[in-house]
Amino acid sequence: MVGIVIVCHGDMADGLLDAARMIVGEQEGIAGVSLREMDAVEGLMERVAAAIERVDTGDGTLVLADLFGASPFNASARLAMQGDSKIEVITGVNLPMLLELAVHRDGETLEQLVEIALEAGISGIETLSQALALKTAS
Amino acid sequence: MPVVHVRMDNRLIHGQILVSWNAEFKIHHIIVTNDKVAADPLQVTLLKAVAPIGATVSVLSIKDCVAYCNGPQADNENIFIIAKFPEDGLALVEVGLNMPVLNLGNQAYVRGSKKLSNTVYLTESGVKALKKLHEMGIRITCRMMPPDPASEYWPTVEKRLPDWAK
Repeated sequence: MVGIVIVCHGDMADGLLDAARMIVGEQEGIAGVSLREMDAVEGLMERVAAAIERVDTGDGTLVLADLFGASPFNASARLAMQGDSKIEVITGVNLPMLLELAVHRDGETLEQLVEIALEAGISGIETLSQALALKTAS
Repeated sequence: MPVVHVRMDNRLIHGQILVSWNAEFKIHHIIVTNDKVAADPLQVTLLKAVAPIGATVSVLSIKDCVAYCNGPQADNENIFIIAKFPEDGLALVEVGLNMPVLNLGNQAYVRGSKKLSNTVYLTESGVKALKKLHEMGIRITCRMMPPDPASEYWPTVEKRLPDWAK
């Protein structure tokens, strides 16, 4: 099974994991890493690497970061670019993305999970008025 | 003035730069300058990949950064310089950059450094570099985000790390 590591600013990773637990229950092979204001990128890289090692069973790891170009992404990207293990990094992690990954992880490859994550993350953003207009029109 | 801001930040380009500082200045060109980083192809590739929309990123040695900023191309740009450590700031000035203000951004803990705040740890050599800059009349500020006060930070360094600031 593909491992999942969530890397975010502040308490966001723990918050996402806590929220996901309420909806899909306890998940194996998912770890969270938090960037604190005193962290150096190198120290963060070490903690992300340790988390990847914990969740990687040989099928690769999907890293979900909060913001493109920010330190959680930068640290993960440097590991992905220099490492020997299979790592992909996606930014803009949100709850719809994480939930969809949690329920589809079994038997899917890293490449397939990337597709699922992007689809769920983007389509999970909706506007009430549009949803009302579309779904109550008939 | 082509160089709008000079920041020492050992996280280099990250969220605060891309979001807060990019909204504060109309940045055309981010120059990351540190001799070690400029010689690391992986970091150079990644830094260039995170350029915000409408801006370019260059990763240059201290010498090349100063040469660029003093050259004709720099005249029509708003340049935001990010170096890693206070020593880089001193080197920029010694090589010939006109820099009225040096801003300390994130200075995460490195071996041998002492804490001034949650975001600023300084080494003895870093403090010595800041002292030289201060003596040259360069204003040292410590602003993580644009709304932080631009007050003179050297007295804080002097007071908190008196042995190193002597």
